[in-house]
Amino acid sequence: MNLDAQQSNRLSSKLELTDISRRFGAVVALDRFNLTVEPGELIALLGPSGCGKTTALRIIAGLESADSGKLEVNGIDYISKPANHRDMGMVFQSYSLFPNMTVQENIEYGLRVRKMEPAKRAKIVGEKLELVALGSKAKNFPHQLSGGQQQRVALARALAIEPTVLLLDEPLSALDAKVRTQIREEIRRIQLDLGITTIFVTHDQEEAMSIADRVGVMNQGNLEQIDKPIALYNKPTTPFVASFVGLANRIPAHVSEKGNVKVLGQKIPLSPFSSDIDGGKNVVALIRPESLHIVSSNETESTVGTVVFKSFLGPLTKLGVDIGEGLIVHLNELSKEVRKIEIGEKISIKIFAEEIMVESA
Amino acid sequence: MRIDRTKIFLISFAIIIATLIFFIPLTAAAEFSFRGNFGKGHSFTNYIWLLKQDGFIENLLITLQLGAIAGILNLLLMVPTAVITNIKFPRWRPVLDFICILPLIIPVVSLAVGAQVAMPEFLQNSQYELAFFFVIIALPFTYRTLDNALVSVELKTLVEASRNLGAGWFLTIVRVIFPSIRTGVIGAIFLSFALSLGEYTLTVLLHWTTFPTWTVIASQQNILGAIALSVFSLVGAVLLMIFISIFANKRNKRLNQQVEEEFA
Repeated sequence: MNLDAQQSNRLSSKLELTDISRRFGAVVALDRFNLTVEPGELIALLGPSGCGKTTALRIIAGLESADSGKLEVNGIDYISKPANHRDMGMVFQSYSLFPNMTVQENIEYGLRVRKMEPAKRAKIVGEKLELVALGSKAKNFPHQLSGGQQQRVALARALAIEPTVLLLDEPLSALDAKVRTQIREEIRRIQLDLGITTIFVTHDQEEAMSIADRVGVMNQGNLEQIDKPIALYNKPTTPFVASFVGLANRIPAHVSEKGNVKVLGQKIPLSPFSSDIDGGKNVVALIRPESLHIVSSNETESTVGTVVFKSFLGPLTKLGVDIGEGLIVHLNELSKEVRKIEIGEKISIKIFAEEIMVESA
Repeated sequence: MRIDRTKIFLISFAIIIATLIFFIPLTAAAEFSFRGNFGKGHSFTNYIWLLKQDGFIENLLITLQLGAIAGILNLLLMVPTAVITNIKFPRWRPVLDFICILPLIIPVVSLAVGAQVAMPEFLQNSQYELAFFFVIIALPFTYRTLDNALVSVELKTLVEASRNLGAGWFLTIVRVIFPSIRTGVIGAIFLSFALSLGEYTLTVLLHWTTFPTWTVIASQQNILGAIALSVFSLVGAVLLMIFISIFANKRNKRLNQQVEEEFA
């Protein structure tokens, strides 16, 4: 097997976590957590603060121990391996570059630890610097670089050791919006180029959706749903995912015995993922802003409301409509279609959805 | 602009006053130490007298040795302790802080007797036992210096990054932590060393002789010689401090020069 093939095999590892649990005192950080990452796949773990996503990543890296469960990389048990024997590259939120070392020294640190000969080391460092477009900054110290440049060095340093898995712990959180998008795209480009198995932890939905092959939504130590971004958005399987991913209007509704949801005067089929809700109950319907649209006042089954706010977002405009009883629903409409609508104006709205996800009232 | 000038004037004035307060007595003492017999003329008589005194070299050397040993022991004891406490047991930091302050609270007599009893017998009969006492006495200062240095760097993530890249604990401490807190470590060694050089009470209580105790006895014979001794000790300490700070900055300057050359 040639070197490139060996490297490719090593970078494209299969990662499996089975029934991983971790408690911190009375707090359950992970509760029988299961995750399988296919070779070369980029998985984003998404969830609110304290949901256990960083704990999961730290357990994979060996920086935190699991109370129970299995962790395997390419079928080999990793759970008992110390962090420095796992060969996993990690990029931290706070960069964590060694302040006393230059960019070059930072990148070659892992290679020096492995006692690699200088010529080979220099070659790898050169390649990684080129990869992150920082060839001219090799002799700079971290404090002489911008946040984005520091994070690119951290990425190059993690990749230099040819890790079995690349772990990214909210790597873009400390960067400003423009740099964040740029680095995000670079991470994805490099990940695809190298075909490296990657786990990306974030609390930013846009980040997760735009970069990942699959997104895992976590809540209270559990993986609620893991799926392709589009499926996660359009076919959430739990009320938590429906309300956490994207914006959802929460509107009082009623489930009929026949499995329909009556909401805003319309009858819409109940999502199969809400099938545990008994018929004849009052519930809360979760409806995406883009499923609500302005219609003409003579449209059947429409609801009349008053526009209470209007936010211009470029191609789209966000509208807030008061539909009575203190309930304000959000709509996203094309800006050119609602430019004449003013605050205080009465409009008719209607739901356009094939099925509705609900949760208990 | 006017405010800036006033500020500059006030700062310059304060610096001049502080310099005068520091240098006038020193200059006067230095001048006095060079006076000849009965205060007439200027010569090296008092310094030559000093060198001729029995025990000058011996006591100076043993004190320097004890200071160096105390500095190294302090380093070996406190760097790993402070690092591990900061990383693994941050909740125990106040406890360690309290323990390290104890040498300031416990009367020196109690400390001398108590610690003497706890020493192994072979050390009780050796003057080198003083090095261990000097470590204890320097603890409040060395721990504080090291802790401040450790708090100022993102220790936990640096350690995690190093471990993640394959380094063991020893390599992480030597290659990552130590250079990151270099100034703090050098400060701690210097403090320990300087305290050891000037320690008097404990040495007397334990019936040993070091340079400070010898100085007191020697100065009773010749007042000008005693002043020469003071000037000698002070100049020695200042030179030592300069040497350590040059040593500490040497590497940083070299690296910064490299970077500046790159930019040029």
